[in-house]
Amino acid sequence: MNTVETRVPVTVLTGFLGSGKTTLLNRILTENHGKKIAVIENEFGEVGIDNDLVIGAEEEIFEMNNGCICCTVRGDLIRILGHLMKRRDKFDYIMVETTGMADPGPVAQTFYVDDDMQQKLHLDAIVTLVDAKHIWEHIDDSDEAKEQVAFADVILLNKIDLVAPEDLERLEARIKSMNSMAKIYRSRDAVVEMDKILNVGGFNLDRALEVDPKFMEPEYPFEWSGIYQLNTGTYKWVMGEGPDPAMGAALLPLANTGLAAKEATLMDAVLTFSEDEQALEAGEMIRLGTGQYNQLVLNENGETVFNFAIQQPGFYMLFTEHHPDEFDARLYGAESVLDPLETREYKPDHEHDEEVTSVGITLPGDLQLEKLNGWLSQLLREQGQDIFRMKGVLSVRGWDERFVFQGVHMLFDGRPDRPWENELRQNKMIFIGRNLDRAALENGFRECLAS
Amino acid sequence: MGLAWSPDGKILAVAGVSGPITLFNGVDGAVGHKLPGHALDTMAISWHKDSRLLASVGQDGKVRLWDAETGAQRSEMAGGASWVERVGFSPVGDWLVSAAGRKLRLWNSSGQLVREYPDASSTITDIKWRYDGKQFAISAYNGVVLYDPTEEEPLHRFEWQGSTLILEWSPDGKYIATGDQDSTVHFWITDSGNDLQMWGYETKVLELAWSFNSRYLATGGGTQIVIWDCSGKGPANTRPIMVEGHQHLIKHLKFQRQGMLLASGGNEGMLAIWKVKKKKPALLADAVFKAPIANLAWSPDDRCIAVSDESGTLSIAAVLR
Repeated sequence: MNTVETRVPVTVLTGFLGSGKTTLLNRILTENHGKKIAVIENEFGEVGIDNDLVIGAEEEIFEMNNGCICCTVRGDLIRILGHLMKRRDKFDYIMVETTGMADPGPVAQTFYVDDDMQQKLHLDAIVTLVDAKHIWEHIDDSDEAKEQVAFADVILLNKIDLVAPEDLERLEARIKSMNSMAKIYRSRDAVVEMDKILNVGGFNLDRALEVDPKFMEPEYPFEWSGIYQLNTGTYKWVMGEGPDPAMGAALLPLANTGLAAKEATLMDAVLTFSEDEQALEAGEMIRLGTGQYNQLVLNENGETVFNFAIQQPGFYMLFTEHHPDEFDARLYGAESVLDPLETREYKPDHEHDEEVTSVGITLPGDLQLEKLNGWLSQLLREQGQDIFRMKGVLSVRGWDERFVFQGVHMLFDGRPDRPWENELRQNKMIFIGRNLDRAALENGFRECLAS
Repeated sequence: MGLAWSPDGKILAVAGVSGPITLFNGVDGAVGHKLPGHALDTMAISWHKDSRLLASVGQDGKVRLWDAETGAQRSEMAGGASWVERVGFSPVGDWLVSAAGRKLRLWNSSGQLVREYPDASSTITDIKWRYDGKQFAISAYNGVVLYDPTEEEPLHRFEWQGSTLILEWSPDGKYIATGDQDSTVHFWITDSGNDLQMWGYETKVLELAWSFNSRYLATGGGTQIVIWDCSGKGPANTRPIMVEGHQHLIKHLKFQRQGMLLASGGNEGMLAIWKVKKKKPALLADAVFKAPIANLAWSPDDRCIAVSDESGTLSIAAVLR
């Protein structure tokens, strides 16, 4: 039962001041993509845009009832979109630009909470522009910046010409840890192919899972590893001042550089990081091998040097709790700095409760709809404020079609999609939010399976 | 499509969403003047009591006054924001109020600004005059504010923490009914400022219609017409009359000006005429249009009803008795 989509697609554009929203908007309006786009921009737009179908909006956020923030919507949007829909012949696409500091929640919720909106419009995607250079100033302490990343279906890392490639990698890894569902693109001057941001189809969970193998990767207690080929002798691991007064590290032998050997050492490292830590001060020797979890305590000021000795020449893998760049850390041999043969970054295992993360779950089998409804409504009642977005492709017992749904906070919209046919029937679900408990979510989801 | 009969019933003004306003002869339907209206969209129209002056507002940020006899524009005023959404001539006096975003302006019929009020707390969603023109009310997020046009300060504020979308005075001025985004209907008792809240609607409520004797308030907000009986002690703790018949959401409700017939228009394109009485209202007639009903307007003598649908069709139906 494929239903023809007659609703007008809406793209919501978010991003901090200076991230390039206006540049992108102007590009969208001038580029020849054959679409007639109506733009709703905030009244205090950064730069004026000259187009008949640009409408100014005042961010009027209000609560739907009971003062619950999960039900805040943008009243101005409801009104403007309502009027716009009467002139349906004049455009076939709508873009909503938000102010830099806007929480995307109320904007997104507007499309779910109002009946007229749901009948006539559908949220195609939330596109978030990220200033690749300046985002670091906000990403750790600004709720708005985190939410804009967390809500996004598409993230455009803009101004990449202003940052070093390794910083870009780090940024991308960080963003993926917060929102593994979003498609991430890189751009200069907001140059991006239009089909990457318009008519994305919103529902890209399938693709996200296929394209991004890291998506289902477990979380590790370390963020980085580097492989070194070391001869017999003494080495120095030198660290500058960093964000934390200490950092965990493990140095493990590696049989060879083949995949199987690396995986084996990786497992050893996970075990090692679960051992009791041994504090090391400046000048002390880093202990080698499985089970030796070193806690490198830094001097209050300046650099701190740790030593270690290698008796058995060969490959070694160094695992660090944080990225060495954060401490400007490097390994010295007898004469000079040694570069790792290869490095890898891991999806960090976040200890901070306030951190925004995504939890993806894949479960084979059929779900029982009543159980699922019961679980979801309880979950959203208890944690709706912390669950920013939720998407799923579900296999429901007794249904021939895939059931797809997506939600914003406590509101969600689900509908049958194409038939499963020969595809493996399974359930995929992703949550993006704060304080997410993976184990509890997995258990709850599993309980919904038809017995 | 905005529809407004001149008070003398001789002209039906029709404002299309593309901007122009057409004046039809109210008796034979002949096309009269075509006014350019407002570029982009004409959002509301209102007649002066003399049936000669028509006010319009739209998305060009302007309030315009038109001479219906000559078709000429008499005045053009700035509404205060890019979209001027509401306009209303006093039913008795010479005043006109307009609302654009949070800007509320009072004009005289020559287009001179009488007063600019301090900005409302939120975008003004509706303006309605009391029957005698001595007061008018505006709605916005946070409820209703009542004004005396001769005074700058508001008379009362009827506060509700929600977005009020539409308001209707009962013809006797005792109640102000509102429809709200949070799927409620409120009855504000204007004397005491008390509020009766009616919960349980399917959707936001944008459809309100009072019967001429102030007894019944018909409300939409779903597929059923919900009619409250305000006689006796009022609608509090009473069970409303529920009228089924529409397949889709009801979009418009209009009572006759002097009779008990209620017209309802739905998203499925159905127009229905009901006779409202204490027990079950009776369906007298129905007709199906090819697109959702866009507007309804009874003629001043209650003999005809103008109906527009979203495909742009305008019909005038005579109601036989």
